[in-house]
Amino acid sequence: MKLTRRQTLASLGLAAGAGLLPRLALSQDAGAFRIGALNPVTGAGGPYGTGMQKMILAAAEAVNAAGGAGGRMLEIFAEDTQTQPQAAVLAAKKLIDVNKVQAILGTWSSGVSLAVIPLTNEAGIPLFHCSGAPALSVPPANEKKLGYRFQATNDRFGRAFAEIAKKEGFKRPATMAFNNASGIGNTEGFTRAWTAMGGEVVASVVYEPAQPSYRAELQKILDAKPDVIVTGSYLADTTIILREWYQTGEETKWIIPAWAANPELVKALGPAVVEGIISVDSISNEGSPAFAAYDAAYQKAIGKSGLGNVYAAMAWDMVTVLALAMEAAGPGADASAINAKMRDVANPDGTKVSSFAEGKAALKNGKINYEGASSILDFDEFGDVTPDFAASFIRNGEIKREYQVKL
Amino acid sequence: MTSFVELLLSGITSGLIIGLAGLSVTLVFGIARFSNAATGDTMTLGAYGALMGTSLTGSLLAGGLIGLAAGALSAILAYVLVFRPLQNRSPISSLLASIGVAFFIRAVLGVVFGHDQMVFQMDLVRPFRLHGVRIQPNDLKFAGVAILTLALVFVVLHLTPIGRRMRAVADNPLLARVSGIAPRPVMFTLWAIAGAVAAVAGILLGMKTVVSPESGWDMLLPAFAAAVLGGIGHPVGAVLAGVIIGVAQELATPFVGFTYKIAISFLVLLLVLLVRPRGLFGKIEGVR
Repeated sequence: MKLTRRQTLASLGLAAGAGLLPRLALSQDAGAFRIGALNPVTGAGGPYGTGMQKMILAAAEAVNAAGGAGGRMLEIFAEDTQTQPQAAVLAAKKLIDVNKVQAILGTWSSGVSLAVIPLTNEAGIPLFHCSGAPALSVPPANEKKLGYRFQATNDRFGRAFAEIAKKEGFKRPATMAFNNASGIGNTEGFTRAWTAMGGEVVASVVYEPAQPSYRAELQKILDAKPDVIVTGSYLADTTIILREWYQTGEETKWIIPAWAANPELVKALGPAVVEGIISVDSISNEGSPAFAAYDAAYQKAIGKSGLGNVYAAMAWDMVTVLALAMEAAGPGADASAINAKMRDVANPDGTKVSSFAEGKAALKNGKINYEGASSILDFDEFGDVTPDFAASFIRNGEIKREYQVKL
Repeated sequence: MTSFVELLLSGITSGLIIGLAGLSVTLVFGIARFSNAATGDTMTLGAYGALMGTSLTGSLLAGGLIGLAAGALSAILAYVLVFRPLQNRSPISSLLASIGVAFFIRAVLGVVFGHDQMVFQMDLVRPFRLHGVRIQPNDLKFAGVAILTLALVFVVLHLTPIGRRMRAVADNPLLARVSGIAPRPVMFTLWAIAGAVAAVAGILLGMKTVVSPESGWDMLLPAFAAAVLGGIGHPVGAVLAGVIIGVAQELATPFVGFTYKIAISFLVLLLVLLVRPRGLFGKIEGVR
């Protein structure tokens, strides 16, 4: 028999497809509740994604060890968003159509979450994310109220920036924002909060990604003689901007979100350039029993302190609160019945609980209020939470937290 | 006024990088007769080569040369494996194949080096002032390297026998062939130069910004714009057009805002092509 190239390819393809079949058959196990862990394992979210995914697995293990939620075991299907909307959409489609997941957890970066949420809305399943864009709170993105945000909105970040700028005694802030929903959300939130305090923003710039130079943008800002520049930026553009800023010879202070002002930035630029930068992040609910449980799981999975990855704590809470809502909704509940129970198990008035096992027991005696590892986890009407923030200062190449900010 | 001059200087530096990339595009177009969409990713490859070279040898210069060699080598490989088998087909085949080569290079870089940004560890220095204008020493170095590269390319093209043959092929491939010019050495030299020039552009871009697998691809549109604006196949034109685009982008931003920075380069392109469809330096060509 003589095979043409096309036939060979076709038969190879079939063989590869056949290899997948048994796995598919297994994954359609009737009794399980299927969850998609859609995390930024590679790309800009890479430093956080692996930890997030491992914490989703670990939290699901804890739920299953406690006998499952609402009579069902959790089954996790892990995918990588590559921190890119296109890749995330493909992965989400696969999770929904092939794996038939009933919830998607842990998307990171607003571009990704905004791209994925139409798919989860269409499928009628919840999306739990760690993205900041204010647009994710309201219709059209959240018209079905199936989106829950475990991270602070960029608007809240902006308010925290304003609190810090006030505390540090700055008088003439300027803003620089990466041109996307998250970047602009940060600086607009700051401007709103700052002007509400009676302050004035002396200059503001929205810049495009992937430019060979940001000199013109910087110049416009520096011409206004600000004493601090507040950014809504990411690591790569922050690296370029700070390098160019240092080479202009100006002495300005910076307030930068922590996903950009992180150890990678220090490594890229060296301690002299980043000296004195204020890095702002939302912080986990440190000191809570839920955080201790998460921290232990994180140490076991990653071998590092759970303090270093606020998003992993959010991922831990996502599974726990979802499982509690499933338990509250009872056996066989569908997505909308589970969704209806989210605030019942997470918001005040109810026995405070810190883990799934504890919550499952307490649910037998009435309402519960899950106090999470990432925050006290009370959802407002938009499905948003309000974590605490911390101001860290970069000194001699070390990022050190100096104080907390509560909104 | 000083800020105007500073923007002008900054525009020239980024323009030279665009110009180098445009030069690589235009060289390939002039001789191999297709638009090489892999130019951007050859830039990235050169930057990664230089990063690796720098960390191996500890010297930025030696690293740069290694990156340059990597760019040249990858371009020659692409020619031997992909573009030579396609050379008698329509230019569209080669263009599409070059997009494939671009994806391939980017994917390999992504797998090998990951998607986290990498940076050249360079000393950042404060600027000095000349009549109140801030001059950044690193900018001067970048411009110096770019100009040196351009000078070398023009020396090869205009003062060496192989350069003369390359120009002959660019001018009229059939006539060149009839005159006894062997195509093979010409093509190898062309791809080596095009790859090396792209690599230099990528290395300079990487030093100015950060290196990630996508960084070169993002520069492809401005590079094409420079090649078209300069009159396709015209080396001096491409470089000059690159500088014009860079300067126009920087100078226009105070007036039109930063969101439209990229649009400016295309507006310039549009205007020039409306007034002068053959580009700045292009010849009017009959139907081939």
